[in-house]
Formats: sequence, C-alpha cells, structure tokens
Amino acid sequence: MNALRDDRASAAVTTVVLLPLLLTVLAGVLQLGALRVAAARVRAAADLATLVGVNDQDDAELSRTGVLRLAGDAADVAREYFERELELSETLLAAPSSEIAARADIVAYPSGPSVDARTGARYERPAVRLAADVPLRTPVFGALAFQPVTTIGVLAVSSPR
Amino acid sequence: MTRRAAALALALLVIGASPALAWDPFDDASGSPEPPASAPPVDPAPFVAPPPGLYYVTDTYVADVVTESGPLTTYTTTTVHESTGSYARVLDTVGTGTLSSFDGAAFNGRATLTDGRAVAGTYYENYVLTGEGFVPVSVVFFQDDAELARQRAANMPAPGASSAGPAPAAPPAATGPLPIGGCCGGVERGEIAERERRDIEPRQVPIRPGVSLAPASVPLTRIEVLRGRVVSIWLHAFAGDREIAVRAWSLASGDGGEPVTTSGTGATPFRTSWTRLAPPGSAYELVFRLEVDTRETGHRLVDARVAVSVRSPALQD
Repeated sequence: MNALRDDRASAAVTTVVLLPLLLTVLAGVLQLGALRVAAARVRAAADLATLVGVNDQDDAELSRTGVLRLAGDAADVAREYFERELELSETLLAAPSSEIAARADIVAYPSGPSVDARTGARYERPAVRLAADVPLRTPVFGALAFQPVTTIGVLAVSSPR
Repeated sequence: MTRRAAALALALLVIGASPALAWDPFDDASGSPEPPASAPPVDPAPFVAPPPGLYYVTDTYVADVVTESGPLTTYTTTTVHESTGSYARVLDTVGTGTLSSFDGAAFNGRATLTDGRAVAGTYYENYVLTGEGFVPVSVVFFQDDAELARQRAANMPAPGASSAGPAPAAPPAATGPLPIGGCCGGVERGEIAERERRDIEPRQVPIRPGVSLAPASVPLTRIEVLRGRVVSIWLHAFAGDREIAVRAWSLASGDGGEPVTTSGTGATPFRTSWTRLAPPGSAYELVFRLEVDTRETGHRLVDARVAVSVRSPALQD
C-alpha cells in the first residue's frame, strides 16, 4: 500500500511539473497552425488580386492592335481587390487592410516582354506582380516570449496565358 | 385438423400469389432475343416539336447566284447541306415582277431582272429555338428565275462600230421568264452573251475582306481575347482603298466559341465568347464568308480569315 501511495504522489508531481510544458507546446502548435492558415488566406488574396488586375484590359488598344494589353489602372484594380480580400481576414491582421494594401508593391507590366526590376523575372505577356509584407497577429507567440506579430511576405504574379 | 391445415395453406397460397413475369423466347414481336436489361435512358434534351409550318433546316443559304449560258440568264440560290440548328417556314412565294409585302425584309434582298422587274422566288423566315420558344431571326429570299438576253442588245452598235451604221434587224424585246424558244433569231449568240455579260456583270474589282474588333477600326488578321469575355467581331470589305457595304456574312468554318448567331448583316457583328482555350501553340482559325453586292463590285462572295488566340489569366510560378 505504501508503494502504491508513493507512485500516486510521483505521478502527481510529474503532472504538475510537465503540464505547463505540455500546454505551452500545445499552444505553440495551435498558434503555428493558425499562422499557416492566415498565411494561406493572405496568399490567396494576393493571387486573386493579380488575377483581377490582369483581367483589366485596355479595350481600345485591343481594338487597335488585336493584342491584349493591360489597362492603365490595372495596378490600382489589383490593389483595391487585395484590400477587399484582406478585409475578410481583418481579425488575423496586425494592421488595417487598407494600410497593408497601400504599402504593397504592385506593378503592372502592360505588355510583354518585360523584366521585373524587383525579382528579375521576365514576363512574356502582360503581367501584374504583387509583393507585400503582411503582419499577422500571433498572441500566443507573444505570450511565449516571442514576437506577438509575425510578418509574412507574399509574392503573386499573374499573366494571360 | 388436416382440413384446416389444408385450407390455411390454400389461403396463404392465394394471398401470396402474383403474376408471373416470364420471357417468351419465341416472341418475335419484341424484336429482341432478350428482354431489355433496363428502361431506356431518358433523353436529356427532349425534342421540342416546332409549331405548324416550321420545319427543321437541313439546307442552309449560301449565296444568290446569277449564271449565264448563252442568252439565258438564270437566277438561283446556292445552299449547303448542313444543319445549323435553325428552323424556317415559307412566308411568301412570288412570281416574276410580283410585289410582296416582304420585299425589303430579306437580308439578301431580291434581285431584279434586266428590265427592272423583281425575280421570282420564295421568302423564308428563319427561327432559332431558345428557352422562350421559336424566335424569328431573319428573312431570306431564295430566288428562282431566268430570263432571256435582251434583244435590244443586238440593236446596240458593237464596240468600235460606227454609231451611224445600220443596226442589225432584231425581233422585239423578249425579256421574260422561260420558255426560251424562239429567242435570238438572226443574232449571233456569242455577241449577245458578251453584251449581256457587260450589262450584268460589273468590272471585277478586287475585294479585300477585313476583320476588326470595332465598327470602325483597322483590319486585323490575328486577335487575342480573354477566355469567357464576349467580343464583337466586325466584318468589312474594301474595294481598293474604299470600304464597301457587306450585305451579309456567315461563319463558314472554324470554332466560333459560343456565338449569339453565326450569320448576320454587315451592320451586325459576330458576337461570341470562348470558354475553351485552343490547344497549346495554336489558335482558332475562323473563316467568314462575306457577301457584297454593290454597283462597283457586283454580287460577290469573299472569305475573311482571322486567327483567334484565347487566353486566360493565370498565376505564374
């Protein structure tokens, strides 16, 4: 009986000692998963924004030459849609979506071929490129002595193929 | 006890009885040696019977044709044996020179004989079947007439001949539909035919077709369009450096995507959209048959070609 009572005491002590560690690991894993989900949503927003931007064609130029060419406001269209898509994930963001979209580096290359000054990529056709740093809330990381805000970088390029 | 048991068994047998389904191997009426495994599938697009008077078009209008054989000029209509999914009904059948309430309604017009009378033929109204029923889309005139060469041509001085010279004797004018018996007595057939050809056929001015994406824009031979976006393709024709009217056009060949219509007048564009991309490295080659009929060119058919590259916005790696 005494040995059994000793084992119970040992298990209780072990649990008390390890439980915070287990909870910390669990919280970190959950936060990491939430961060990955948030990053995926941000990337989807960037992809969609560039696709919509590419869809903004210069109809007058198309009538004149028969060749697809981006409209002059294609980058603005992409920025607007990027902001709209980020608004849907506002609770995950550590900054207003309008501010993130305004800071995003969005460039429209109306006709191809062209070379992206930022990435060095060569685009054979009209393209819209979006590069942005998006701050995401990571409160658990902050509670664990990490940064409460994690910034991820997204890069999206769309072109008619 | 035995009787009760027997009665009970008989009652159960009667209650549980059902008609037997058996296959008669010698039943020739069925037309099949085996019974059908299952009911025939339901037609997903059941045939909708057209209203009375309408029939399904199996021969499609191509062009009005005027042919000459000696002194005989024949006005006919060429068709192509194909079904465009449209329907038609007869509006009016008219004789030579007979007026019709549908004159001017046909997109291909109604030709006239050399004496000014309208040719004989039949007016048809074309329909397409939509979700709202049969919708009339156009009226077409199928000409079917003939006339003899005008004898007055023989009265005219031959080219190079003195205008003061005596004209050959000729019978009175005999313009009119068949029969042709008794025509052209005492006159050289070849001479009449040549003069008549000059009267009927204008000078062969080269016609240059053109395709554009705007009513007034530069002709294009290759265009790019976005997948799913509706585009309007305008058909033009040029005689020299001057644009001439396109009386009618039709899509002769090529994948036209999902067009609103495959034919029309020169004032209407070919409106369509493509939901499928062409195979990699290729484009949709469209050929439009244009019909022009001006005093300068006469009645002519020309083909306009354009290559369409359908593109879709896509992400890049």
